Amino acid sequence: MFQPEAIIEALHMVVSWSVLYWLVVGVVIGVGVGAMPGLTAATGVAIMLPLTFTMSTAAALGLLIGLYKGAVYGGSISAISFATPGTPEAAATIYDGHKLMRMGQGRKAALMALYASITGDTLSDLITIGLAPALALVALKFGPTERFWLVVLACTLLGALSGAHPAKGMLSAALGIFIGTVGTDPVGMVSRMTFGLWWLQDGIHLIPMMIGVFAIARMLEGAIELLRKRGVARKVKESISTALMKSGPGLTFKEYIRTWKEMLIGLFVGSFAGMLPGLGATVGAFLSYSVAKQVSPKKQIGSGVLEGVAAAESGNNATVGPTLIPLLAFGIPGSSTAALIGGALMLQGATPSPRMFELYPAVVYSLFIILLAGNFVNLGVGRVFAGFYARLGQLPRQILIPLIFMMAIIGSYAFRGNPYDVVVMLACGLVGYGMRILRIPDAPLVITFLITPMMEANLRRALLINRGDWFQALFHSPLAIGLLIACIVLTFLAIRFEVSKRLSTVAPKVTQKNS
Amino acid sequence: MGKWLKCNQGVGVILTSLFTALLIYIELSPWAHRKLRDGFTLGFFPAVAVGLSIFFSLIIIFDSRRREVLQGLEPFTFTSALSAVLAVVVSWLYFSLMRRIGFLIVTPFFLLLAMFALGAQSWRNTLLVAVFMTVIVYGIFRVMGIELPLGILSGVLPF
Repeated sequence: MFQPEAIIEALHMVVSWSVLYWLVVGVVIGVGVGAMPGLTAATGVAIMLPLTFTMSTAAALGLLIGLYKGAVYGGSISAISFATPGTPEAAATIYDGHKLMRMGQGRKAALMALYASITGDTLSDLITIGLAPALALVALKFGPTERFWLVVLACTLLGALSGAHPAKGMLSAALGIFIGTVGTDPVGMVSRMTFGLWWLQDGIHLIPMMIGVFAIARMLEGAIELLRKRGVARKVKESISTALMKSGPGLTFKEYIRTWKEMLIGLFVGSFAGMLPGLGATVGAFLSYSVAKQVSPKKQIGSGVLEGVAAAESGNNATVGPTLIPLLAFGIPGSSTAALIGGALMLQGATPSPRMFELYPAVVYSLFIILLAGNFVNLGVGRVFAGFYARLGQLPRQILIPLIFMMAIIGSYAFRGNPYDVVVMLACGLVGYGMRILRIPDAPLVITFLITPMMEANLRRALLINRGDWFQALFHSPLAIGLLIACIVLTFLAIRFEVSKRLSTVAPKVTQKNS
Repeated sequence: MGKWLKCNQGVGVILTSLFTALLIYIELSPWAHRKLRDGFTLGFFPAVAVGLSIFFSLIIIFDSRRREVLQGLEPFTFTSALSAVLAVVVSWLYFSLMRRIGFLIVTPFFLLLAMFALGAQSWRNTLLVAVFMTVIVYGIFRVMGIELPLGILSGVLPF
């Protein structure tokens, strides 16, 4: 699996001013996206995705991965400065971060958040680089039957672990499979499920669908909330200048090293949450925070200590790299943002699959290099511009929402020049908005939509190989039976012990303990 | 009745009805029964996906959380639904006009309208943001090599 010539090719792809430029642009935009409440990493990546199709593969990965890393860190800036998490994954940072700010140690908290984010992110990237090729080797031994069951297992996990209600998660996954069947049958090349609309014959394209679900749906929700609360102005009285500008006390090396245990907890918990489809950065941050709190009760995490910031920030950023492991090893994204990065790879002609390391090794290695390089850029941008981003986080939503709408419309139109993509995007936006108010998680829908062709093609291939014998096609190997048993057991355990409900209530529990 | 519709059970019933209608549509469509070379019918996978959706919607109706009132639906009214649809219609209108008249002309008006509709108050700042962002976004797309519709300005502008 180790291919020196591919690494050299990847270095040629990555080491250029253009890639560095887009990486910096990605981080700069990402930290801004993260700092602005209401925007998430997925929204930012979805909006920027159409721009990548004119770029080289490495530049596109630089922009998107930089944005992803920046956004996950950027959420902490507004969480610390005005107790409003820029992204959901930064919510756990508020407890200690904002308390520190109120004690006049905002700059210290902001630096701790930055360093813990970079530490967790960099070490988890190394875990990704070590683990993904090993898992890819295992994936290569899989035949169509095993691949089919692996996708079913991923769909099951996504459904069972996303959101607080497993049935809704599963429903979202089933809906994603249904949307994935719209268009042309992947084997017979005959159109199906087009509702008599000729422009659906090519199916629903990934970009308008993702922009609709991740940008338009959230902006519709924000706009309607704004219309409802019009006139009730939210006043931010905290002085950001005292929090993040150079006047406050900084972070000493001793203070940074003192939090090693919490950062390590964040690293392992976050990496695990990132690797498992359906969990993601928010669960990673809250789990790390609550584990750190239980492991070190003497440190009084929750009362405004640096250890709390370190655990939460290391936990959420440690999910960034590992969320790409299932994508690179099996072609199955671990989160909605990983699905978007998978979409960008598809646009570049490098469709994620279990043969990714075999077919596009240079792309995979360039992704690894960008993952690591992105941390240094994130460190530089966060160190220099934190104060500016704290102000940006106060940008009124009246301005932000129309801008995102405009970007979503022109983005979904511009990448193919097809006006029907805008129709699909707006329709997906309405569906996504409906799902949000019904509390149906959107990540399973998007991820299963992306992997449905793989699932269908593998099942049909398995049937062709076994001459139409369903039993042989589905259960001919012990591994296939093992994967099926894993599906059943995991679903049973997730429902029996209400795992998703417990995970989604970690946040309120932490809040209660801190109050 | 109103409260029931806002709990999981009510939502489950509505979703089950919608997906059942979709399954009936698939089963009644002639293309769905067309057999392919590998023995599958064209409608097999869509029907399986909709069948699964019906199954999980039924679980929502009967599981232990069926009486839970959805927080997201509590403040949701007919006006909210209408606002969402209106926002989508206005967006489509903006897109259609943008293609005909041009991005640089229509976008500032769209942004101004949307910002004021959402509660922006300062005329001068809003106008500045609308015009500035239009030009910036046009410039970024142009640098990226992506042409945005110039509409009636296509013969007028030198670029």
